[in-house]
Amino acid sequence: MKYRIGIDVGGTFTDFLLTSEDGTSEIYKVLSTPDDPSVGLMKGLEEMAKIKRISLREFIQDVETIVHGTTVTTNAVLTRKGAKTGLLTTKGLRDALEMRRGIREEQYNNRYLNVEPLVPRHLRYPVEERLDYKGDVLNEIKESDIFDSAALFKEEGVEAIAICFMNSFARPDHETIAAKIIKEKYPDIYLTVSSEFLPSIRFYDRISTTVLNSYVGPILKNYLTSLLQKLEDAGFKGVLLIMQSNGGVVSPEIAMDYAAATLLSGPAAGPVAGIEYTSVQGYEDCLTIDMGGTSFDAALIKDKTPLITTEGEIDRLRLALPMLGIVTIGAGGGSIGWVDEGGLLRMGPQSAGSKPGPACYDLGGELPTCTDADLILGYLDKDFFAGGKIPLNYERAKKAIKEKVANPLGMDLVEAAAGMYRVINVNMASGVREVSIKRGHDPREFPLVVAGGAGPVHAGMIAFELEIPIMIIPKESSIFCAAGMLMSDLKHNFVRTYSARLDDLDLKKLLSLFTEMEEEAFKLLKSEHIPEDSIEHIYSLDMRYVKQYHEVNVEMAKEELEKGDVGLIASKFHPEHNRLYGYSLEEEGTPLELINLRLLSIGQTKKPQFREEKYAQEDPSKALKKKRQAYLPLKRTFEQVPVYDGHKLRHGNRVEGPAIIEQVNTTTFVTPEYSVLCDKYGSYTMYLKAKEIEVKERLGISS
Amino acid sequence: MKIDKILASVFQRSFKSITEEMSIVLTKTTRSPILCEAKDFVTGLYDGKGKMLEQTENLPILSFSLGPVCEYIVNYYGDEIYPGDVIFHNDVFSMGNQNNDVAVYKPIFFEDKLIAWAASKGHQADVGGAVAGGYNPRATEVWQETLRIPPVKVYEKGKFKKDVWDLIFANIRFDMVAADMRAQIGSCVVGERGILKLVEKYGLDVFESHKAYLFDSTEKMMRAEIRTIPNGIYQGESTVYYDGRTPGSKYKIKVKITVEDEEITFDYSDTDPQTEGFVNGTYTSSASATLLTFLQMVNPDMPHNDGMIRPVKIIIPEGTILNAKYPAATTFGNHLCPPNADAIIRALSQAIPQRVTAGWNQLLCYLTSGYDARKKDNYVDIGFLGLKGGSGGTSGVEGYDHIGMIDASGGVLDQDYEMFEQQTPHLLLKHEYWPDSAGAGQWRGGLGVETKFKIRGEKTKVVTFGDGDVEPPFGLFGGKDATLNKIELHYPDGKVYKTTSKDLVEDVPSGTVLFQQAGGGGGYGDPYLRESAKVAQEVKNGIISLNRAQEDYGVVIDPKTFEVNLEETKKMRKKKNK
Repeated sequence: MKYRIGIDVGGTFTDFLLTSEDGTSEIYKVLSTPDDPSVGLMKGLEEMAKIKRISLREFIQDVETIVHGTTVTTNAVLTRKGAKTGLLTTKGLRDALEMRRGIREEQYNNRYLNVEPLVPRHLRYPVEERLDYKGDVLNEIKESDIFDSAALFKEEGVEAIAICFMNSFARPDHETIAAKIIKEKYPDIYLTVSSEFLPSIRFYDRISTTVLNSYVGPILKNYLTSLLQKLEDAGFKGVLLIMQSNGGVVSPEIAMDYAAATLLSGPAAGPVAGIEYTSVQGYEDCLTIDMGGTSFDAALIKDKTPLITTEGEIDRLRLALPMLGIVTIGAGGGSIGWVDEGGLLRMGPQSAGSKPGPACYDLGGELPTCTDADLILGYLDKDFFAGGKIPLNYERAKKAIKEKVANPLGMDLVEAAAGMYRVINVNMASGVREVSIKRGHDPREFPLVVAGGAGPVHAGMIAFELEIPIMIIPKESSIFCAAGMLMSDLKHNFVRTYSARLDDLDLKKLLSLFTEMEEEAFKLLKSEHIPEDSIEHIYSLDMRYVKQYHEVNVEMAKEELEKGDVGLIASKFHPEHNRLYGYSLEEEGTPLELINLRLLSIGQTKKPQFREEKYAQEDPSKALKKKRQAYLPLKRTFEQVPVYDGHKLRHGNRVEGPAIIEQVNTTTFVTPEYSVLCDKYGSYTMYLKAKEIEVKERLGISS
Repeated sequence: MKIDKILASVFQRSFKSITEEMSIVLTKTTRSPILCEAKDFVTGLYDGKGKMLEQTENLPILSFSLGPVCEYIVNYYGDEIYPGDVIFHNDVFSMGNQNNDVAVYKPIFFEDKLIAWAASKGHQADVGGAVAGGYNPRATEVWQETLRIPPVKVYEKGKFKKDVWDLIFANIRFDMVAADMRAQIGSCVVGERGILKLVEKYGLDVFESHKAYLFDSTEKMMRAEIRTIPNGIYQGESTVYYDGRTPGSKYKIKVKITVEDEEITFDYSDTDPQTEGFVNGTYTSSASATLLTFLQMVNPDMPHNDGMIRPVKIIIPEGTILNAKYPAATTFGNHLCPPNADAIIRALSQAIPQRVTAGWNQLLCYLTSGYDARKKDNYVDIGFLGLKGGSGGTSGVEGYDHIGMIDASGGVLDQDYEMFEQQTPHLLLKHEYWPDSAGAGQWRGGLGVETKFKIRGEKTKVVTFGDGDVEPPFGLFGGKDATLNKIELHYPDGKVYKTTSKDLVEDVPSGTVLFQQAGGGGGYGDPYLRESAKVAQEVKNGIISLNRAQEDYGVVIDPKTFEVNLEETKKMRKKKNK
């Protein structure tokens, strides 16, 4: 038997999805080991082998591919435990990194501090050199500055170096000279050169991103080197791939050089999974939500393509690499409910985390959380949380909610718990609005893919708030990202700045820049063993109206670009601007300008095939476990609702709301307005009752 | 009607989210850098009577500027407000805050009833008047500064009024302004959609009653905050230097703050009379400054709606420098915020010493304009990156480095350096923290910034406006004062001209270097109490000199290792304490 494994290392659990060549799949979870995540990872592999009653060596020899999502880089930034980094930058501008363009995010808060820079001022070394805005040399580079900096960095014990000079996007020469000297003096240092790493305009964006890469590079390099060694020692002969923030995977060797591309990779596999789970039903678009213990991620997919942004941030530091446009808000099972001075109920953003956790965990937590409310409302079973592994204490939940929410609001326990449930749902709904409405899309037109342990308890009311008629709850919803990793392709992003008015466009230059990027792409993908016919290129242009400051990215086919038809390019821009911002200036004849050329190169990977189940009629009664009291939010009352064992539901079974479906790792609350149909892969489609015929058609179930 | 307290939370969250959407539209679509880069605009929602529902205030000085005009418009048109109307406004003598801040109001109707307003206000690149950009230090009356736009409909009942539109834009220099005003209308449409969706979903009665509950709840929150300030009368004053006409001129701002249980009154009755020139405030800009300064001393996590301002009374007699009489010139009015804030801080430092900051760096800004031969086009550039000095330290927390004037409190962003060199012909030589610029203190002030660039291009004009070049930001409770602002032009022939704080220099030759120092913020508490390791770190980082470490902080540091000489430091600090 040949296997493929997706491994997602989270804050609390490391999730595994094991798929076999016969189409079966299995879920595993082990506790994460934050000090060295590879310990938990190897332990998980051992446990899987144990369950299969074979040795780790026998098991791992059959593993073809491991796709791994890691947060070692993310954690290094959040805890400021990255490499000691030195920076070479243009003399006179060495504080740009720390200034962050002078923003204070909380304007009315005088106790709000700037973030600590990743490179302290004394390691930001000013170099005499200067290029002008088009890359012409105004001041030759003073090489002795580079030698001096290398000496200082050695003395200080610097472990990584970043180079970013003013206007280097237009000409790399000075950075190349500096890099050469550094490499001679410091052959083994981790080095990031901005003109190679991110040759695009905007100094702060480039310097911040370049420094982030050097800061986390050595960390990722050490981690992956040691992991590869451990896997090799265990007998692994397959391919290891690493998840990136752009929703694609990459070989470990390349990941080590582009370490910053993994910084926001945590939730990046979710949208990829969303595409797979919805496309089997014939959808091209979807929204995905993933509600964990502390955070809630929402993403939008249009034409099977997740939204990409270059406006990312990590810990208030600019990260200008292309990444999936995922909105993360502080809402999860651990979100704390509280009443503010004006008597308004709030949920989060503070979270009880996993320690002390919700009050009902009985681990010392005394503050009421979302999970406590879910328990009081009857959505969770105190004896079947995590399949019974974590017993929940009802009295603790009750006490916390009474004292901290119900009494201050002058409400009874249930009203208060229902209020908490409602407020957090509204918060999450506004996260969904942010990825849809604020970007010009109507959420009602998208099926909502629901993931995360706590997601399916809340999805019904989030969808109701947004008037979304159809939800899909994948069988692998609790390990959604691990599943998405197995479905991801290799992806590499490239960028060149070419600033010109569209009327003055030099087509030859534009095409040669694209060719340059294509060549780089082929080289990388070749090193990852991707044959040329499995490579796809996506071309796009960042453009704006003359004198605007923000660009709109417009995708173009290669043939369209080769035509050099400026009118055609413009005709793609205007409608996109109109869709995003409600108007275009086509009629006014406002000229356009080009800023960046972007290339996304995709190498197709082999995807797992899931086994289809035989149709087993509508009646779900074989899966019926019992009945229990659950709160119906719109009716504002408890009612006796049936509880089903999700593991016993079969293809075609239909569960009418109100109902609860329990699985080991997640609970689904089917609100009275919705029903659930189980599809042939074991996923649930939850739909407004009026939509039943449409849903059945999509699922190929005749009514 | 029974109030669903939870639904009130839902409304609050929704209002906020809608105004944020409105704000995103403006950021992404406007072209004037002061809007899209510096975000000098505010978006908001108001109820049918013009009372604030919620706002997104990118620049706090605009926080109080939309509501009063909305109420004015409601009265002005009476029952002649129709669905599909779009109203423009900038007039400072009908509650506007500044001529350049032009507002768009869109009434929102539900079943033929006026239920709310969506509005946006942004600093426009030009508003007519004698000088491009509106800054005219020579102005003595409003018409020299601007085209006055009292409430005027550019759409009525959904019909575009071409003649009115053309009349307005025939009097404004740049085409960009018309495009940016369109973007503002777009933002209001987004706001209208959001409100209607809510009302359609919950019904008008529920909307109205829960809105009222929300106002009351926020009022309660503000009252609770005011209650934490000891009752009493607190007085503070500050000085405005140079009215742009008479060198050496000075004006006093005096505030008497009365705290009585749950209410607070700011009374400016003893403030000096208005100036002859453009250094005058309007009621709205001055009250906005008062409010934003006060809001920094209470819990920042409070909904911004009408309830918040109910327990706050602001008295500014007409004819004072903070509330000039018709037809005064007032373009400088928003920039009276820093001295106004100083007066308030000085007053409240007697009541809530733990919550006030030391003095902030005051605004001093340059504006260059001219012809860029590379692009065969004119340009205007406001020096955001150069103007941002430090904020004052406060109890337990340092001042914020390079944050800029208190009117913006870190809401205005620097131009990106590379975009600056694309959009203007200039060459940036330096933009770095200014060492030793911060006021020393147990909690030091924020650092100021030094900026240097070579002016290139043709027909260059340099305008300056601001203050802070006479009196430095003050230290508090033993903290030291910080440094002054300065702008100099270093001409190619070697001559140096130090500008005044309200200046206009024409025909600046290419090759001239503009040098600006934006000062730091004042220090808080005795510098001798500052942790010596912190001082050593800052010396190592080159933002405090060895000498100043010794003189101001009594910390002796080894110049090679940057380690604290504990013994010497102890001796030094003891000596002073004797």
